[in-house]
This record gives sequence, C-alpha cells and structure tokens, in this order.
Amino acid sequence: MIKSNKTIRFSGALIALVLGLFAGNTYAQSTRDLRINELLVINDSNYVDDYGQHCAWFEVFNSAYNTVDIGGSYLTNDPANPTKYYIPKGDPITQIPPRNYLVFYADNVPTRGILHLNFTLDETNYLAIYEGNGKNLIDAIKFGPQSPDVSFGRLTDGNHEWGFLEKTTPLANNYTGTIVSAGEKFVEMDPYGVGMAVIAMSVVFAALILLYIVFKNTKRLYSINFKKLFSREPTKEAVAEIASEVEISGEVNAAIAMALYLYISELHDHEEAILTIKKVSRTYSPWSSKIYGLRNQLR
Amino acid sequence: MEHSGNFLTFITDHLQQFFTYTAFANVTAGHIIMICVGLAFIYLAIAKEYEPMLLIPIGFGILVGNIAFLPGLKIGIYESGSVLNYLYFGVLQGIYPPLIFLGIGAMTDFSALISNPKLMLIGAAAQLGIFGAYAIALLLGFSPSEAGAIAIIGGADGPTAIFLSSKLAPELMGAIAISAYSYMALVPVIQPPVMRLLTTKKERLIRMKPPRSVSKVEKVLFPIIGMLLTCFIVPSGLPLLGMLFFGNLLKESGVTKRLADTAKGPMIDIVTILIGLTVGASTQATTFLTAKSVGIFALGAASFIIATFGGVMFVKIINIFLKEGNKMNPLIGNAGVSAVPDSARVSQVVGLEYDKTNHLLMHAMGPNVAGVIGSAVAAGILLGFLS
Repeated sequence: MIKSNKTIRFSGALIALVLGLFAGNTYAQSTRDLRINELLVINDSNYVDDYGQHCAWFEVFNSAYNTVDIGGSYLTNDPANPTKYYIPKGDPITQIPPRNYLVFYADNVPTRGILHLNFTLDETNYLAIYEGNGKNLIDAIKFGPQSPDVSFGRLTDGNHEWGFLEKTTPLANNYTGTIVSAGEKFVEMDPYGVGMAVIAMSVVFAALILLYIVFKNTKRLYSINFKKLFSREPTKEAVAEIASEVEISGEVNAAIAMALYLYISELHDHEEAILTIKKVSRTYSPWSSKIYGLRNQLR
Repeated sequence: MEHSGNFLTFITDHLQQFFTYTAFANVTAGHIIMICVGLAFIYLAIAKEYEPMLLIPIGFGILVGNIAFLPGLKIGIYESGSVLNYLYFGVLQGIYPPLIFLGIGAMTDFSALISNPKLMLIGAAAQLGIFGAYAIALLLGFSPSEAGAIAIIGGADGPTAIFLSSKLAPELMGAIAISAYSYMALVPVIQPPVMRLLTTKKERLIRMKPPRSVSKVEKVLFPIIGMLLTCFIVPSGLPLLGMLFFGNLLKESGVTKRLADTAKGPMIDIVTILIGLTVGASTQATTFLTAKSVGIFALGAASFIIATFGGVMFVKIINIFLKEGNKMNPLIGNAGVSAVPDSARVSQVVGLEYDKTNHLLMHAMGPNVAGVIGSAVAAGILLGFLS
C-alpha cells in the first residue's frame, strides 16, 4: 500500500511537472490579441486617408479567431500618458474581424473621425495600445529613424520579428511572398506519406494506449483510500505506541490456544447427527400474516 | 383573327419558355447516371437492408440533387439563399457531424472496451487504412489536403469523413461522403474475404474469455477520462470526441435520462435526415461526376481493405505475445474500422461459420467503438497537420 501511495504521489508530481514544462501560450480571444502590425511614419506619396491626404498611419492586427472590438481602448505615443487617445466605443468601424486589420491615421487632426488621432508618430518614435482601464499595456513599439514611404512592421502578421517591409501593406498581409500551406510543407518533407503514417499512427496508438493504461487500472484507482493517502504517515514513535497498545497479554494467548485446541480435537470424521429435509406445516393464522404486519407502499 | 393568332403565338412562346425551365430540357447524361446511382442506393437500402437509415436519405438526396434546372432560381444546393443551401450549411460548416457523434455517444455502451481495454489497440491498428489511403492518394497526384480528406474514408465513419472533408477539401465532400457511406454499407461484402485470407482455421476457432462485468463508476469515469486524455493529445478532434464522450456521459450518469434519450432519439434522427439528404443532394452531376470522384471511390475501397488488414494482422501479432487461453480471435480485428455495429456483426457472422457456438459479437464491439475514437483522433491529426 505504501509503495502504491508513493507511486501515485510520484505520478502526480510527474504530471504536474510535465504540465508545467509543456504549458503553452494562453490565447485571450479579446483586446489582448490586438497587435500593432505595421506603421508608416513619413508618408510622402503612399497610402492616402479618407480625405485624400498623405499622413502617417499604422495598422492594428486582430490575431484572434473571433471579432475583437478595439473601441474603449487607448492609443498613445507617450509612455507617460497611456490614455492620450480614447477610441470611442459602439462604432461598427472599431469591430475588427478575426485575423483582420484596422488602420489609424496619426495626423493630429482628431476632428476628421475616430480613426484620426490627436498625435503624430514622429514626435516620440513610440506607439502603444492600452486596455480600457488605461493601465494594462496590450502592445507597444519603439522604433528608430524611418525612411520616406517605407513601412516598418512585423515580417509576418502578429509575429514578434520587426523590420522594414518590401511593400507597404495597409489592410493586408505583411508577408507578400509565396505562402506555402501546412499540407504542402508537410508533403515536401514526406512525399510518400510514410512520415504521416508513422507520426499519426504513433499518436493514435499513444492516445488509445493511454486510455488502455488508465482503464486497466481504473478499479485500483477508485478503490484507493484517499483519506488514508493524504493523511500524514505516522512517526516511528507513534507506530511503536500503537504496537504496544495492541500487544496481547499471556493469559489471552493461553485462552486462544486452549480454544483452538478444543476446536481441533472436537472434529469428527463421522457425525452422529442426521441431516434431513422435513416439511414443517403450520396452520394459517391471521395474527401471523404478513399482509397485516407490513405497511402498504405509499403511492 | 389576327388577335387569336397572336394569342396562339403567345401561348406557344410561353410553353416553349416553360419547357426551357423543365428538367427535360436541361438534363444531361451525368444527371441520368446520378439518378440511377440514387435509385441503386434506395434499392440496396430497401431490398437488401444495407444501412437503410443512411442510404435512403442519401439515395433520395441524390435524386433531389440531380433534377436538372436553370440556374438562378435559388433552387440548387450550391445556390446562395436556396432552402437546400441553408440546410447544406450544417454540412459545410461541420455542424451536423458532432451532433451525430453526440447521439452515437448516448447510444454506445463502452462496457466491452472497459472490461478488456487491450481491445482499444485494435481500434488504433485499424486506422492504418486511413494512412495507407493517404499515401496512395498522394501517389495518384491529389493535393495534401485532398489526400487527407479522402484518406479518412478508411476510418469507416461517415460523420468524421464529412467533418474532415468540409475542413480540408469542401469541393470533394460529396464524393467522399458518398464513398464512405457506400463502403460502410458494403462492409459485409468487403471484409470477410480479407479476414479469411489472413487467418488460419485454427485462429478462427480461438475462444476468448467472457468479458468481466463493468461497474457503474467505471462507466461514468470512461467518458470523462476518455475525453480529457484524447483531447489533450489531439485538441483538433475536440468537436467530435467532445460530443461523443459527452453523449456517453449523459447515458451513463443515469441522472440525465431525458437528455440522453433526446440525443440518441429525435435529435440524431433529425440530423441524420438532414445530413443524408443534403450530402446526397450535393452530388449534382455537374460538380460530382469527375475523374477525381472515380479516384475517390477506388481509394475508398483500398482504404477499407487496408484497415481490415491492419486490424486482423495486429491481433495476430499481439497473439504471439499472449499466453494460451488469453489469445484473441483475429476475426475481431476487422471490427477496428469503426463502422458501428456492422463490422462487429461481420466478426460474429464469420466466426459462427467456423464454430456455431463461438460468439464474437461482444468481443468485437470493443475494437468497434475504439475504432470510433481512433478515427476521430486520426481526423484530428490530419486536420492539425494539413489545414
């Protein structure tokens, strides 16, 4: 029992360790999934805003797989003032569809609409998005000197690697090269499907072997006395004390020995009594009838 | 007189115009072929009782989908806004298959599997059919996503095939679903020759130990632990595995009888009708009758044969390591392909041919339901790698 307890404790610790080691990223599916994706600080002849003007702009990417409303969040170019520009709530334009984009214009002309901010990007070379409480930072970027009409952005949407992009891509994928699907990549390495068969069969077997192991031991698992398992193990002194408590006196031992002797010596090969089945007839009496003695079932 | 002449022209013009709307004017040889296929399905379902619950809705769906019409009237299954298109949404977005899995979970008794957990491994081995078909599909020139979607036919599980193909290759879904359901109906024809070929007479006579009784606690724990373990390994299988085990918990908990009854009764019936009819209707000749569809049918047959081979050979290999008295009858190996309960019934029928008193059905149900889990896990893996 002690051994199995140890095994269970060891397994528990091992599972916790594995979970700890392999615990991956958490995906918030909320404003925390928004990313500053691309920005153009010096716009001489590039993307024009809804007023036909060339001004600095930046793109926010929704990396989640659900629509995220950026309304209610804050944008700033000043780390000391996180609530510099409040993005109004309730406007359909602030709803960013899954894996999609929204472009803001940093032209310091906020009267032109909610996408036109009250700051520019070249003042501080810093840009950040804060949550609605104005305290929790969602994303920030500190960038260096910029070239005219060359955008600075994440090399692939939402990724952590930044650089100057070959093409400016407002409201589009930052990566403009050929996109190879996961399947095509897989087949490039495994053209005959042998790798797939090996990996996939191993995973299927692993899943079902795991189930096999668990259900082979389920009975043992739920027959464990968890009270005993999680109670403290008694110390040596306590064990000795319990042992001394259950120690039996000589008189009791003698009595048990006598009883055993009598029991064994009284055994017979041939019994004198006769075992038979005899019908015992009892006359009926309403006083002994069960139907009067038992209560009727409640309806 | 002139007026009546004009009226006659008016009538004939409109009759002619009406004729252009009729199916007689628009029918092609492809439509006729598909209508014949639909009629064959209905015949097999009624006369031979091959999977009637599936073949009747699919067969009739094929008839519905192959009534030729002029496009633009919001009639066809592929026309946005048509009634059939709305019903088809559940197939395209993979809504129906998890609902069917919920019902399957609510009607499946996993006792055979819990009492002899090593039978689970047969369910894993039979998934070889999926990956064998995947390799052949790649060799035949299908794209990786198409190959993955076609390969799942080897899992012998209609809802899983529809679910995966809707994600990986929606344009092939009709052919894949029809192929999967056709071969599931033909399990009693495809599997026995392979089983006989791979086993000796002595092996076919092996008697297995009767399964032990399974406690309620074990039955309740199975869906909970099963879901957690399998979905932790393959989260992409969550829609199918989650619903399968949820349905089973409704059944085994004993306190949600009404929910379990609905899941395994009216709900699965409704979804089966919708999925069968719409999948059948999606086989419109203009989109269905292609060389690819023929390839898919050929690959479907190959995958079933490979799956049966995998299951039977796995039992034979395992038997080498098992003591006399604990050995398994290789005739239950075919049941690892999940077509529940047909493939288990095949094990029973073939077993009885050689020993009238050797009933393999209960033993075969173990790998059979393990096959359902295995094919859902395999679908999750393919989705994870290829989408």
